[in-house]
Amino acid sequence: MKRVGGRAAALIVLAVVILGGMSLYILRFLTNGRDWVSFASNKTVYSGGVLKVGTILDRDGQALSQVSGGSRVYADDELVRKATLHVLGDPGGNIGTGALSAFAPRLMGYNVLTGAYSRTGNGKTLSLTIDADVCAAAYKALGGSRGAVGVVNYKSGQILCMVSSPSFDPMNIPDLTGEKYEGVYLNRFLSATYPPGSVFKLVTLAAAVENIPDLNDRVFHCDGGITVGGDYVACTKKHGDLSIEDALAVSCNSAFGELALELGAETLADYAARFGLTESFEIDGIKTATGSFKNAAPNTSSLAWSGIGQYEDMVCPAAILRFVSAVANGGNAVDMTLIKDKGLASLLPPGSSRLLGKQTAEKLATMMNYNVYKTYGQDNYPGLELYAKTGTAEVGGGKEPHAWFAGFITNEDAPLAFVVIVENGGSGSRTAGAVANKVLQAAIKESEK
Amino acid sequence: MTEILSGAGEFLSQNSAAVFSWMTLVLRYVLTALALIVVWRTCKSLLDTEDDMEQWGMLSLPNGAKIPLNHWENIIGRSKTSDAYIEYPTLSRSHAAVIRDDKGSWHVHDLGSKSGVKVNGKEIAGRAPLKNGDILNLGGVELVFVTADAAAVSMQEKERARQQKQRRRETGLHPAGTLVYLTAFQVALGLQLCIAQDEALLPAVPLSFILLIGIMWLCYLTTRLLRRSAFEVETIAFFLCTIGLAVTASAEPDRLLRQIGFLAAGVCLYFLVGWFIRDLDRAVRLRWPIALFGLVMLGTTLVFSDAVLGAKNWLSIGGVSFQPSEFVKIAFVFAGAATLDRLFARRNLILFIAYSGACVMTLALMGDFGTALVFFVAYLLISFIRSGDLATVFLSVGGAGFAGFLAATLKPEVASRFLNWGHAWQAPNAGGYQQVRAMSAAASGGLFGIGAGNGWLKTVFAADTDMVFGMVCEELGLLTAAAAVFALFMTAFHVIRSSRSARSTFYVIGASAAVSILLFQLILNVFGSVDILPFTGVTFPFVSRGGSSLIASWGLLAFIKAVDTRRGASFVLKTPKRIAKQEARRSKNRAASDRRVKKPAPPEQPEPPEIQETEPDDYDSWFLE
Repeated sequence: MKRVGGRAAALIVLAVVILGGMSLYILRFLTNGRDWVSFASNKTVYSGGVLKVGTILDRDGQALSQVSGGSRVYADDELVRKATLHVLGDPGGNIGTGALSAFAPRLMGYNVLTGAYSRTGNGKTLSLTIDADVCAAAYKALGGSRGAVGVVNYKSGQILCMVSSPSFDPMNIPDLTGEKYEGVYLNRFLSATYPPGSVFKLVTLAAAVENIPDLNDRVFHCDGGITVGGDYVACTKKHGDLSIEDALAVSCNSAFGELALELGAETLADYAARFGLTESFEIDGIKTATGSFKNAAPNTSSLAWSGIGQYEDMVCPAAILRFVSAVANGGNAVDMTLIKDKGLASLLPPGSSRLLGKQTAEKLATMMNYNVYKTYGQDNYPGLELYAKTGTAEVGGGKEPHAWFAGFITNEDAPLAFVVIVENGGSGSRTAGAVANKVLQAAIKESEK
Repeated sequence: MTEILSGAGEFLSQNSAAVFSWMTLVLRYVLTALALIVVWRTCKSLLDTEDDMEQWGMLSLPNGAKIPLNHWENIIGRSKTSDAYIEYPTLSRSHAAVIRDDKGSWHVHDLGSKSGVKVNGKEIAGRAPLKNGDILNLGGVELVFVTADAAAVSMQEKERARQQKQRRRETGLHPAGTLVYLTAFQVALGLQLCIAQDEALLPAVPLSFILLIGIMWLCYLTTRLLRRSAFEVETIAFFLCTIGLAVTASAEPDRLLRQIGFLAAGVCLYFLVGWFIRDLDRAVRLRWPIALFGLVMLGTTLVFSDAVLGAKNWLSIGGVSFQPSEFVKIAFVFAGAATLDRLFARRNLILFIAYSGACVMTLALMGDFGTALVFFVAYLLISFIRSGDLATVFLSVGGAGFAGFLAATLKPEVASRFLNWGHAWQAPNAGGYQQVRAMSAAASGGLFGIGAGNGWLKTVFAADTDMVFGMVCEELGLLTAAAAVFALFMTAFHVIRSSRSARSTFYVIGASAAVSILLFQLILNVFGSVDILPFTGVTFPFVSRGGSSLIASWGLLAFIKAVDTRRGASFVLKTPKRIAKQEARRSKNRAASDRRVKKPAPPEQPEPPEIQETEPDDYDSWFLE
């Protein structure tokens, strides 16, 4: 009897299965609950796939998206609605990086203890760092062109402006088929990659500053291009003899092609990676697109092109913004954020990562300021203490090149870094520079309020 | 005064939504706290129990040592795991069994020993009756067999009663106290469900909870009237039933009163099965007819039922639909349980294997793979307890794995469930439809739930049956859901612990098999609904809505009560004191009739004929080692 009775202990196997299974379930509940709860069929917080709780405000308290009368509505002004669409996300949840999707758990007031329960059933209010008026100015400045604009305070990491075009009015959703709205659900600032063109010369320059001791004493000579291994790397014109400052200011392909050949693909790839241009990073948990840099063989035109932002180089606008904000901030990139009120976490200083050395950053900044003085024209940017670099990225196929403008201003009360990309916009300084000026003027005005 | 009241009434009617929302906010925490208290008290009461053995007789050794016989079925031998362990080289490892039947007659069985068994100097063949004072000779060792007399039993019982009272004073856990907490839980839950009603209040909601409380206390009162004290296992069942009723009230309130009817039927079946197995002889005698009846029911279902969702497991008789496979679980437990003397018969084991095979095959043909799996696990457990042979168990698992593979390749719906397993989130609107909704709703509930009746998972198909765990998590919170799982989990430990002091192997096997069925169903239901196991669609015992499952679960619960030998704990076991009294009366009657006849009583000692099947050549030595 004792022996048979003892065998009832075999039930322990079932007990262990239950314990193990419950432990696994509770572990997943704690770690994945945030994702589970943000499932669009979760009718506690979604209605017809649209988040039915939570209010989103801009940094000045303007309502960007809220629930009214049981349905989700956006800002009152149509221009603001279009300008902030990609920040917020569309009602259908197609823009996965939008706040309505990415910050859904916050809007529900989700936490592990009380789940998505809220007594009133209205969820929480979330204040963003976004300024609706600056976004509207940026969207207007893009004037219907495809592209993206990003502005960040490089001291606090707060993103003031994040606009992607094309956009649409989420309160009156048009027919989104057809070429005009192709890729409309993509937030081009976060999720697209483009050839960087001459903006990448900042990377080659940083590598040269740190690896070529006599860089300042060198004289570069431009005959309208260089020949490498039988191939021709063209420049925009014959620049003649140039110092490194002038080479950057006129964005000379010959000079930077030579530097690229001298530095080699490994060094360039190393710097691109160090500056976060070939990696993805997170903004409050939202992942940015991953850029790429392909190592070309030594002494080839491809290597020269890769050093001037062509060949296979691809970058995400958000990564460029992070890089220039690091240059502005003495080499230290403060973690970007979209959320203004972080509760107790806002008492802590924001996190940051060092992308480049302080001296290198200062050298780069000096030369970026010289660009404005020498080429872009301070008169075009009234009142801005501007440091910048243009890019005109060839895309082939007979299309106009993409226009880039990236940099920062050091105005008191407005320590802002920016990036502008206009697809097929032509010349960087003319098209993208003009957009940047309008956006920054709007931002200065807002900061003076 | 009336003004104040009418003013308050007006305020309430105007702000009812706000008032109710505040009530829900608070009730969520109150309910969770009460659930945890109920489960904690119940489990503590089960764990605090000390092992105390009953004593039914004694063996005196020549050196004066006394070996107590703590069970109705005792093995004597040289093996240390014997109930009466005697270290002497001429003894076999399991030499003989001393077995008491329900009426108090004792027999000694020779378990195929090398050196034989003698009673009062006479060699026995197979088995022989044993009386108080008989001298057993096992391989040269002489033992005096003494039955426990009424006076000794009475003393022993008094001592155990004193100890129990002492313990209860120390721990302060009276079952009625726990029931008061459970009643508070039920009242709070009923209140929350009433205020969660959108429009007009359905009278069935408060009524069903009042009836639930009534049935529970009536069940407790009956137990007390039967002079039994333990109510832990029943408390667990009522706790789970309460949660199940809340789920029904939320998902299908028009079925509430039916569900209460099923609960009442379940409690009746619980007492019926308990009463039935209380008489061990009767249970042993009738177990094969019951088992056969179960199999016939399964066969009938297979032939006559129409397939519902790919499974032919419903039978309709006279307008009443039910799932016979649920009730056959009870028949299966009967088929698997056996007293110690029968465990030695190979024929018995072969019959059981054949019976299990027939059940599992029929269920597989019906397309009810979840239940087939439940039967198979119960079969594994029973065959292990009977044989102690892990090799057989592993062989069975291998064979079943092969059969399962064949089933999966032949039946596309089975295969698709395995393919989706672990990938629910990759197909949230196809193969993982139900699981991802269960998980999403569960995450919304957090630890305290969003309030009973407020969930949305109930709108998904089979929410209150196959996905009931998700629904409990959503509406009542993870803590209460985990408490429900833990409560049922604890019954396993109760059975493991009690089995050591159980009277008969019949009860040990019965209780273990019943618990294995309940727990394995719990495993399939809970982990299937959250994508940890393939989704099989079996019920969560006591919680899932539905009649057959609920009633059958109560029937299985009675088997758990049959191993509980704590003093005066379980109505399924007669108290030793009462048994002693009955025996005394019986022997007095016998003596009186002997005197009337005035001649020596003929040797018409009642010999249950069915025991004759255990011939010595049937013994399996592998069982003994």
